[in-house]
Amino acid sequence: MCGLEIPADDRVIVGMGSLDDAGVYQISDELAIIQSVDFFTPIVDDPYWFGQIAAANALSDIYAMGGIPKTAMNLVGFPLKLMDISILRQIIQGGLDKMKEADVVLIGGHSVEDSELKYGLSVTGFVHPDRILTKRNLSAGNYLVLTKPLGTGVINTAIKGGVASREVIEKVTQLMAALNRDAAELMVRYQVNACTDITGFGLLGHLAEMVVDSGLGISLNAESIPILPEAADYAAMGMLPGGANKNKTFRESMVEFSSSVNPLIQDLLFDPQTSGGLLICIDREDTNKLVDELHQKGIDGSAVIGEVISAPPGKILVN
Amino acid sequence: MKEIDARGLACPAPVLQAKSAIEAEQLNAVSVVVDNEAAQQNVGRFLESRGFEIALEKDNRGYHVIGKCDAAAQSKGETAPAADANITKIMVMIATDRIGYGDDELGLKLMVNFIRTLSEMGPELWRLVFVNNGVKLAVRDSEVIADLKELEDNGLQILVCGTCLNHFDLLEHKQVGETTNMLDIVTAMQLCDKVINV
Repeated sequence: MCGLEIPADDRVIVGMGSLDDAGVYQISDELAIIQSVDFFTPIVDDPYWFGQIAAANALSDIYAMGGIPKTAMNLVGFPLKLMDISILRQIIQGGLDKMKEADVVLIGGHSVEDSELKYGLSVTGFVHPDRILTKRNLSAGNYLVLTKPLGTGVINTAIKGGVASREVIEKVTQLMAALNRDAAELMVRYQVNACTDITGFGLLGHLAEMVVDSGLGISLNAESIPILPEAADYAAMGMLPGGANKNKTFRESMVEFSSSVNPLIQDLLFDPQTSGGLLICIDREDTNKLVDELHQKGIDGSAVIGEVISAPPGKILVN
Repeated sequence: MKEIDARGLACPAPVLQAKSAIEAEQLNAVSVVVDNEAAQQNVGRFLESRGFEIALEKDNRGYHVIGKCDAAAQSKGETAPAADANITKIMVMIATDRIGYGDDELGLKLMVNFIRTLSEMGPELWRLVFVNNGVKLAVRDSEVIADLKELEDNGLQILVCGTCLNHFDLLEHKQVGETTNMLDIVTAMQLCDKVINV
């Protein structure tokens, strides 16, 4: 978008200028709408589950901004000449079931004929203008909580390569299709300063967006970062997706790894995620309570992974 | 040394090419050329995971991974962790895609049923080996792929003869099991307590 002029509007609270998950537009003193759109090509073979994952992934941006998704529209690209229309039906059914689970209503959509199948949603949510969570507003001493384990990118590559076991495919499918709703509902009860969801840029890519030009840094404890064990196995077999390397090249100047961190783990921290968990920047005192509640809700993968530090600014230290 | 040109391919394709080549041809040395560093690293990691010593090089043709392994190291790497020594180890070797002679349709049904019932052997079932026409049970469109995958997920090592897959031009279509060679099959026969031929 470099070099393009974006018209300004006072009511835009979060817009093109920021690195955030969604746009926010203020309607009144009490209400702002959050808008987001996300779609992609299939990552699992089962159309119904692909629909669920795509919907969970699109809804996640609203949760990450501290909002509640309300309405959605389908976005569909479908190769009519190559695939039976019943496949599309199953995809949309998957999306619809996920929307029902999230109490979101489908109010429209648009489809085009496309050489490659694509599905996703445009989502609108509500938030109080004072309670918007962005990637900014960190303070030194805050803790970082991650709510889903990493590794879906590697496992999706292993699925593409036909080397993933059925058990793993099932496990990762469930993980990607899981809504971030419960985690978001719990998080807003606490003193949370910032939030994002982990997607294509990987954990370190999204953390980099949080600290860049913030005057603050981040210290991570590699051992406490939840990673799917199968992802480490597949990464050791050479199943790291190209995106992980792109993320690394883009942000590695901001990251300092201690020599004790296994190179494989270093790469996995850049692994692009599909429908990843929330990364919550929370007041230190509230951290244990939130993590306990997340575990009680069955969000077992949740863990405290590090903290915000005052120096060195703009750096992520991984120990 | 065999060279695999995987330039222009996106991950995981270079790794998959290296994998099928070393499995089908039982290579002890291989050179893979790719066009980016990430693919080079992935191929390197894959070869290391298979017991190869690797060297990484870069020239005007691209990024190279040269892998070498001595056979002893490779077979050491592949040996599964020792199971409970008291359990009888049964190897089932299947050299046909149907059971018995007479009616082929019936023979196929019997084979499907046989595979589905194999798990009744419990932990004594140690290896399942497919050779000759038997490899057709482990490739695309076989009725028992799901059953075989379940056996494999439960820890059974399934070996599929690479020469046979190659003969039938089915290398690309294998859906389950590890591609294997005669040395592995003979070694497995020697290590197990009982071989059942079908």
